[in-house]
Amino acid sequence: MRRMSHASAPALPPPDFEVASAHPEAAWLRQAAAARDWAAIRNYVDGLPAGTDRSFAVRQLGEVKGVEEWLRPLVDAQPHDVLALTVLGAREVNIGWEIRTSYAAEHVSREQFAGLHAHLRQAEQLLIRATALDPAFDAAWCERLTTAMGLQLGQNEARRRYEQLAKHHPHHLTAQARLLQQLCPKWSGSWEAAHGFVRECADAAPEGAPNAGLVAEAHFEHWYALKGAERDAYLRQPHVRTELAQAADRSVFHPGFQRGYGWVSVTGCFAALFSLMGDLPRAAACFRLLGNLAGEYPWDYFGNAAQSYIRHRDAALARG
Amino acid sequence: MNPQADILLTDVDGIPALFAHSAGPMRAGLVFRVGVADETLARTGVTHLVEHLALHRQGLAAHDYNGTTKDAFTHFYTEGDEAQILAYLQSVCASLADLPMERLATEKEILRTEESRRDRPQLPLWRYGAQGYGLPSYPEWGVPLLGPDDVRHWAQTWFTQGNAVLWVAGERIPAGLSLKLPPGERRPLPAVTSALPSTPAYFSDGKGGVLLDAVVADTAAARVYAGVLERALTRALRQEGGYSYTTAADHTSRRDGHAVIAAFADALPDRQDAVLGGFVDVLAALQAGRVDGGDLETVRGRAETALTAPDAAVRRLVGAAEDLLAGRPPVPLEQQRAELRAVTDQHVHAVALEAAGTALLQVPAGHSADWAGYTAAPTTSPYAVTGRRFTARDNSGCALVLGADGVSFVGREADGTESAATVLHRACAAVLTWPDGGRRLIGTDGLVVDVEPDRYGIDATALAALDAALPPAAVVPQPPRERRSFTPAQHSAHPHATAQAPAFRRRTTGQTVSLVIWGILTVLLAFVALSVTVARSEFGTGEWVVMLGILWGITALCAWPAIRILRDTRRG
Repeated sequence: MRRMSHASAPALPPPDFEVASAHPEAAWLRQAAAARDWAAIRNYVDGLPAGTDRSFAVRQLGEVKGVEEWLRPLVDAQPHDVLALTVLGAREVNIGWEIRTSYAAEHVSREQFAGLHAHLRQAEQLLIRATALDPAFDAAWCERLTTAMGLQLGQNEARRRYEQLAKHHPHHLTAQARLLQQLCPKWSGSWEAAHGFVRECADAAPEGAPNAGLVAEAHFEHWYALKGAERDAYLRQPHVRTELAQAADRSVFHPGFQRGYGWVSVTGCFAALFSLMGDLPRAAACFRLLGNLAGEYPWDYFGNAAQSYIRHRDAALARG
Repeated sequence: MNPQADILLTDVDGIPALFAHSAGPMRAGLVFRVGVADETLARTGVTHLVEHLALHRQGLAAHDYNGTTKDAFTHFYTEGDEAQILAYLQSVCASLADLPMERLATEKEILRTEESRRDRPQLPLWRYGAQGYGLPSYPEWGVPLLGPDDVRHWAQTWFTQGNAVLWVAGERIPAGLSLKLPPGERRPLPAVTSALPSTPAYFSDGKGGVLLDAVVADTAAARVYAGVLERALTRALRQEGGYSYTTAADHTSRRDGHAVIAAFADALPDRQDAVLGGFVDVLAALQAGRVDGGDLETVRGRAETALTAPDAAVRRLVGAAEDLLAGRPPVPLEQQRAELRAVTDQHVHAVALEAAGTALLQVPAGHSADWAGYTAAPTTSPYAVTGRRFTARDNSGCALVLGADGVSFVGREADGTESAATVLHRACAAVLTWPDGGRRLIGTDGLVVDVEPDRYGIDATALAALDAALPPAAVVPQPPRERRSFTPAQHSAHPHATAQAPAFRRRTTGQTVSLVIWGILTVLLAFVALSVTVARSEFGTGEWVVMLGILWGITALCAWPAIRILRDTRRG
């Protein structure tokens, strides 16, 4: 497969990992945060249609370095501002991860872990207040799924948090994807729990919704956790192939597929898996859907995300 | 409202008496301003013992009666006809003035039985330490030590005319009632001590679930808050989540202007994390001012019904008697109803904030609450004393320091830092002493230091010097104990008073395997050695003796590891 050359085909553009390419509002949000225009940010988030996944906006804002400098005094002055509490919470989580670094645990010092945990606790306390003030605010619960994981508060506690969110937002893709991480064995869960949860999410979501893509994410996580020949064997199992095809038909290949927040990662995940199992026509269909859009997930699992994307895409498009 | 329905204040033989009219059977009680919190750790149980002795002469009376020893109050109460009530009260008073000391040994045994059935709350010792209001966490260690003079002296000091209040519910105060008690004055409430440098705080212990207590101003809003909290816990943890079976919250007046709010949610072992998380969120919602209007109305409605019921005054009598002993005259029912009606969600919110500031949370072992903003309650002292250092012989790196002012246990935390638990001689609430030389010192802050001479190689002179330095009144001699093999966990400085740490380590699989291997080897070698021993004629004498020495020596060497494992461990 890898030997296939596409010299004859016109060169495809490199993958575009910029979130704002798929969702231009991301750029505006980051600019507004850099400009400390809290009123505009508030207006924007308050004005989002009901049912919008507001974790997306919070995540964009929480990634802007330095927002904590003006958000901390803002939260002190306006302790009832649920959005400010949540964005600052998200920011504290990111600061903690910047201290920890993304290296494997054995390369992280005790001080770095202590720094991570201190920021996670700060984040959690801001978010406890946010969910206490407004238990229907999806983004705050979503961040609390991350803090629960980092602080190792337990499987039942993570589920409880998800259920609090799901009471108001039953098909919240971001929250479901985070709980899926928690339910995997790497975070003290089990494959049974992980696959079981995503199947429930897929079945409950309407046709054309991206939630069935979580079935692919769970299989991808499971595949990734295996070693050597076990990986191929895993993807050769008929039930895995059937389940993936059905999940894709229900989501990315459905005529009514919604390109809401998270659709790029979901589509990329199907693309990667179909490519890995040699189902090149389906992989190619996913890549065509993507254009050259790419999310960090799942491509950063392969090491060099851009190179792997190109390799899988070009092979699929050449054959599929 | 009919003023006749309220509590009337009068007196009988100089003892304040609270009376409420009631058409039902007559009820009456005598309350004293004394309780466990007035005792010392080394003499805990003396009030309870007096209460038992005072009731002995009631024998198997036909009417209902009982006694209760609480933190700061001791109650005697009864229900029956006028003659029975009269006889009961007069007999209790006569007994208190002249306790039946011939019953002392028997009542001590009864208390011991009662003790064995009791589950001691842990929260008091963590909040207040090993003194005052913290003492209900501890067993009645003083009971076996109390002689007739101690008990008599306690009764004469505390169960006096000036330190009592009578209450009666019925048609009238029984005619001809006369209460003869030793003279004495009204005693102030016990001092409120603290073992918590900062609040909100938490500690991890037990498997039962999550417990909370918080100290707030004793108001109508605080009572409503407790009711609202109970409903919120039940809804979140039982009805919606299904994580808990029992959820409860209540309000107990400490009679000093403050009340203790206590809350509890039980948990299955595999659901503890969710119960803790849900509990924290319920508290947070109330702190954020999210008070459910329906809950507020329901709780207020129930309280109002209780305050307007025909027996409202009667139900208030016991509490009013305690209030009066604490220097607080009865609050008219009408005023209580008005205060209750005035409670708004903002008042409840204010109580929630006040409770959050003083909260102490008990979370299941293995969990923490630092992530939710609760500080870990201290399990170590800020410093160690200087003095002679005795290093543990088990290479655990632990040491005891016996100084001129106190004793410190020095060990290492999981993160490698050194930590100490110190009990100063002058702040030693009790020292349990065993005939084998073992000592357990408990500081007034609740920290525990075990002094085991065998483990640390403490000589008789050093031990004698320690004994001489400890306050004699703190000494609590214990009966001989089984030989114990010590584990590092036993010497942790965590304040635990009642839990007996397991005396033996569980045997691991590796140890079992090596026990079997060494055992088999020992049997085989012993067989060879025995054959040589009986086959003396085949060897020269000198040769035979040398061979015997070598063979039995090797056998003994093989047997030793097996014996060590057998001695130090127990099958898990």
